[in-house]
Amino acid sequence: MNKYIIFIIGVCCCMASCIKDEALNKECDIESAWIEGTEYEDYFYQTTEMRKEAISSAETDIVFSVRSLLSLSTQIPLHFKITDGATIEPANGSVQDFTKGPVVYTVTSEDGEWKRTYNVIFQEAPLPAQKFSFELVETQTEKTMLGGTNEMHVFYEQTAAGPNYCWATGNPGSALTKNGSKAEEFPVYSTPDGKEGRGVCLNTQSAGALGEWMKKPIAAGSLFLGKFQVDYVLSDALKATRFGVPNSKEPVRITGWYKYKPGAKFTDMNMKEYPDREDEASIYAVYYRNTDNKGESYTLDGHDVEDLDKVLDHPQVYKVARVASLPPTDTWTQWEMFFEGRDVPDDMVAAQGCNLALVFSSSKRGAQFEGAVGSTLYVDEVEISYEK
Amino acid sequence: MKRNIAYLIIYIAASWLVSSPAEAGTLDSLQLRARAGYNIGGTMPIPLPETIRSIDSYSLTSSFMVSFDAMLPLTPQWGVMTGLRLENKGMKGDVTTKAYFMEVVKGDQKMSGLFTGHVEQKVKQWMLTVPVQATFMLSQKVILKGGPYVSFLLGKGFNGIASDGYLRKDSPTGPKILMGNREGEWATYDFDSDMRSVQFGVGLGVDWQVYKRLGVSADLNWGLTGIFPGDFKTVEQTLYPVYGTVGVFYRLK
Repeated sequence: MNKYIIFIIGVCCCMASCIKDEALNKECDIESAWIEGTEYEDYFYQTTEMRKEAISSAETDIVFSVRSLLSLSTQIPLHFKITDGATIEPANGSVQDFTKGPVVYTVTSEDGEWKRTYNVIFQEAPLPAQKFSFELVETQTEKTMLGGTNEMHVFYEQTAAGPNYCWATGNPGSALTKNGSKAEEFPVYSTPDGKEGRGVCLNTQSAGALGEWMKKPIAAGSLFLGKFQVDYVLSDALKATRFGVPNSKEPVRITGWYKYKPGAKFTDMNMKEYPDREDEASIYAVYYRNTDNKGESYTLDGHDVEDLDKVLDHPQVYKVARVASLPPTDTWTQWEMFFEGRDVPDDMVAAQGCNLALVFSSSKRGAQFEGAVGSTLYVDEVEISYEK
Repeated sequence: MKRNIAYLIIYIAASWLVSSPAEAGTLDSLQLRARAGYNIGGTMPIPLPETIRSIDSYSLTSSFMVSFDAMLPLTPQWGVMTGLRLENKGMKGDVTTKAYFMEVVKGDQKMSGLFTGHVEQKVKQWMLTVPVQATFMLSQKVILKGGPYVSFLLGKGFNGIASDGYLRKDSPTGPKILMGNREGEWATYDFDSDMRSVQFGVGLGVDWQVYKRLGVSADLNWGLTGIFPGDFKTVEQTLYPVYGTVGVFYRLK
């Protein structure tokens, strides 16, 4: 018995003594960025806008919305939290002039071998959009370790203050298991066959063997106003969809055009088939308060809208609009939806205190990985009517 | 090819046993032992890479060993030993990694990156092992032995969980995919079928006949082939099975 114990101790000591010295960090992220000091508060509608927390690892633009660029100080000290050991240039906390366009920051990893560059942009809060025609699209490329290049479409809107990347898709999640895919092979892409000009195609795809292995066997096409935080796709997929962008007018009605064809086989997250279920598309919008009771910034995520029947019970939510049904059709068909819910205080609306989330999905239950591969939703020419 | 070599070794060893001419080497002097033991060790990269930051826990799984072996003295001191051993070289280990390279292949899809976090690793390797060892008799009761072995795997298992951390896809600047600490939030992996079916290694040991026909033994078996073929990239470093065995034996003859 003694021998046995000595042996175990021996093996453990041997293993422990073999641990090598820790290598220097290779990562070089900006994790958060903020402006400190009450003297800067007047430049912003909301003080929560002065802090950008939990910046997504895939983000390269950090955007601060300000009331006016003309009156913005040319000497703003910007602070960052970066990866341990990494360095940032220009220096952390240094005073910069953001009135002349983006300031580029470069973060270098502790081991000196890796770099990331970020554009920090101060932008006037865009006026509420009246119409989305989805004509503007950028192709983003991403090289994978396996040698391929993925291409993805990114939709944006042109505003007086410059391009506004207000639209997000779940494409970065799909990209994890893709290698060398064209933009049209992703769940969301720009199509030349819109109602007028270009439009958007959303389609539910199989996430392949790798997706199945990760218990995320399908990827529904989803397009929404907000941000997709790819960091959470595996651990908490509902948290990855951060719905809503600030909107300083209260929406009343949204209309648009669609075509829809459900896929053949409805399956759940275990790829079990349900022959009697048919996939459905989903279009809805939520208008909600973007600051919580503690004064912290609040963004609605997939958990909050899991059950649309209960969204109005959510303490942050003022109004919800849903398209009741989107029957399959292969010709462009108009839909409309009206906002219902609680009254919104006018001053809060004007002060950018509310976010508008507008969501399109080719599979209603796509966030739960339920739907039919092949379900295809086309959307175009979306118009928003506001309260006078 | 490897299998053929293994058969050749067994054949040579066996023919030696039955046909050695020297007086000490007659079948009359053949010693037979039955033994049982427990394997203690690990299947690990050697040396441990700097991307493994700590070994948080280590436990043995049912790593029993039973064997039957024959030793033929060729001179008063030297001899040769072979046998057949049924054993499991199992383990369960928890390690903390930092930027540990991982590549996952499923069907025609691949995902690779650097994982920082917690890895819970289970290894199961049921095998039939044939050692061929030279023996040296220190005394009538103590025998030192050493030589190569070949193992044929009967049951294979290599699976685990990557949790409480994140994968940087493709490179340290790629998307950071978080992994939680509950089922559904972590990534599991299972590479049973990718494991080698035949392993080679070398062993060293000592037999000590303590009381009448009963004795105790200690052995160290050091794998020279990784548990995965060389083209398997999922785990960055080659994992070698290194196991010590403590056992008891009964001398039958």
